[in-house]
Amino acid sequence: MYHGLCIRYHVSRPELQNIMEKAREIVNKALSLKRPLLEPEAKALINSIGITTPSFDIANDSEEAVEIAKSIGYPVVLKVISPDIIHKTDVGGIILGAKNEKQVRRDYSKIIENIKRKIPEAKIEGVLIERLATPSLEVIIGGLRDSQFGPTIMLGLGGIFTEILKDLSFRLTPVTKGETFGMMEELKGCPLLNGYRGSKPLDKESLSDAMVSISNLMTEVEEIKEIDLNPVFLYPKGLTAVDARVILG
Amino acid sequence: MFDLTGFFNPESVAVIGASEKPGKLSGIILQNLLKACYKGNLYPINPSYKEIFGLKCFPSITEIPERVSLAIIVIPAPKVPKVLQECGEKRIGSVIIVSSGFRETGKDGAQLEKEIKDIGKKYGIRIIGPNCMGIYDPNSCIDTFFIPPERMGRPCSGEVAILSQSGSFAVTFLDILAYEGVGVSKIVNYGNSVDIGESELLRYLADDEKTKVVALYIESVDDGRGFVEASSYCSKRKAVVAFKAGKREAGIAAARSHTGAMAGKYEIYKAAFRKAGIVEAETYGELLDACKIFSFQKPAKGNRVLIVTDGGGIGVAIADLCGDYDLDVVGLSSDIKDRIKKKLPPFYSLNNPIDLTGSATDDEYGLVIKEALKGDHYDLAIVTALWGPPALSDRLIDVIAEAAEVTGKPIIICSIGGKFTMSRKGLFEKKGLPVFPSPERSVKAASLLVKRGMIKT
Repeated sequence: MYHGLCIRYHVSRPELQNIMEKAREIVNKALSLKRPLLEPEAKALINSIGITTPSFDIANDSEEAVEIAKSIGYPVVLKVISPDIIHKTDVGGIILGAKNEKQVRRDYSKIIENIKRKIPEAKIEGVLIERLATPSLEVIIGGLRDSQFGPTIMLGLGGIFTEILKDLSFRLTPVTKGETFGMMEELKGCPLLNGYRGSKPLDKESLSDAMVSISNLMTEVEEIKEIDLNPVFLYPKGLTAVDARVILG
Repeated sequence: MFDLTGFFNPESVAVIGASEKPGKLSGIILQNLLKACYKGNLYPINPSYKEIFGLKCFPSITEIPERVSLAIIVIPAPKVPKVLQECGEKRIGSVIIVSSGFRETGKDGAQLEKEIKDIGKKYGIRIIGPNCMGIYDPNSCIDTFFIPPERMGRPCSGEVAILSQSGSFAVTFLDILAYEGVGVSKIVNYGNSVDIGESELLRYLADDEKTKVVALYIESVDDGRGFVEASSYCSKRKAVVAFKAGKREAGIAAARSHTGAMAGKYEIYKAAFRKAGIVEAETYGELLDACKIFSFQKPAKGNRVLIVTDGGGIGVAIADLCGDYDLDVVGLSSDIKDRIKKKLPPFYSLNNPIDLTGSATDDEYGLVIKEALKGDHYDLAIVTALWGPPALSDRLIDVIAEAAEVTGKPIIICSIGGKFTMSRKGLFEKKGLPVFPSPERSVKAASLLVKRGMIKT
């Protein structure tokens, strides 16, 4: 099982190379199979660079699904794993909130059935069983390799902030911790990070660490064309990347 | 790195394709060089003439007996490769190709451009252009801008260098700077930049003694990281300000929360400017004002701004705008208040803005500016000089200039009005005080000084 938890660190150059080696292994495996990174691989990739995700594992039948759910704890989310499906929600490939064994079995069958009906040709590589994360303020951390300027990093607040208000901040990588705090301050929604109307201030230090990690990943692993952690739930202590998508090329 | 002095300070210049026919670009270039102070030898090249504008004309560059340091090529594009080859044989190090008809015209033009690129490499010729206006340098009087001075003014010698991808932009900017009285050190429009582009020019200007400010007009750069490195090098030494044109691309409109789709090139350019220590000018007008403010004033050490006014309303408008541009209109300290209270009439408003009202005198301006800027309470000042108060005289200009010198902090003059007010603009600027004719432009100029001050040098 992947605990999805990592310890925060400030690394030296050789340590960084060590960490990036693990990331490269994951990337190279997908490249050799000539397919994009699957969600559990993308999550293992960001775990390897120190970014927390909910605990997860892959089930190949409903029995395994139940076993995994039991060991990571309820409630759980079930998500189809397939290189042929990009928008899982649109095809009924994600079901949230199973609270017990019965519901896990039911959701498992339902997902397989949905996919078989809607995209029969899709290759299913299992179902991701993941601990349902406690909602909090949503942020987006992205990385993009620009054709002219090379690797960049993006920070945005989730939902309408990004989609409608375009409240985003970009930098060329590598970024320092100081630069990541500058990016946070640049967002119009920055006061939300500091806590407002009695809510607790959120863990900007963890957010900064995650941003530096993504910046390092984009700088060091050139095979990654794009990465999106969307959404990331930011808590008063720590954060968790609920979804991760990586495009290679 | 290659020294670009051959372009900006050549010992001798050949104009290839020179002609006396009215309206010919080559003729205008030759005349501009003749009329200006250019001191070196000038060689017109054209097989159809024996003499042009009283200068001996040569049939080809290879027939000039003396050494030629710079060749300016103004002939139809298909003839350029042959002539460039001759320049190579003559061992000319620097060539400006003004001619158009290359990459910008399509496939055949792109092929021609590749040819000249190869010839340049083979002979080690450094090239500016093709498809460009070239260089204007008021110190050496090299001027390849093929527009007569009656149509387009030439700025005096000063400290602003301008690099522009666009010819029309370079021309209008040159004209306006001349009109505004802002001097330049060098202007380069490099067109298709087959060889020399903005990155190399930035590195050159970084170490150019005459240049204090570099203003860039950019549509795109070829080598992004190279540009960032060159700009970083330059911005540690000079104020670098850029205006990016071509900001809105289809991609940016995509409303999906997807990094690639949302990025849009402009966002990345902004990030690049930030990394490179470049101050961004968001509009054409702001770039112009940036050239002016950076050549007049040094960067501010912080964002605490003092406002002194003789018109309450204008002071309020300035204070409002300061909030929009991250300038801190911090109140007067009790120390400052104590120092100036004794010496001023009781009805003056001792806040920030300091309102000297319609009773203002020249000396009161001097007094409050000196006392308030003393010490470490303010980083810069915006001083409104409205000419209504009857007690004000032209001596006000000297008084403020003296206060600026004593305090060593940047002062921006916001002077709003018509004929009389504008007639005083030149007097302020002669004393080194930049005048902006609106609260908006004054505050933006102040924010540019603050932004520049935040860049590591």
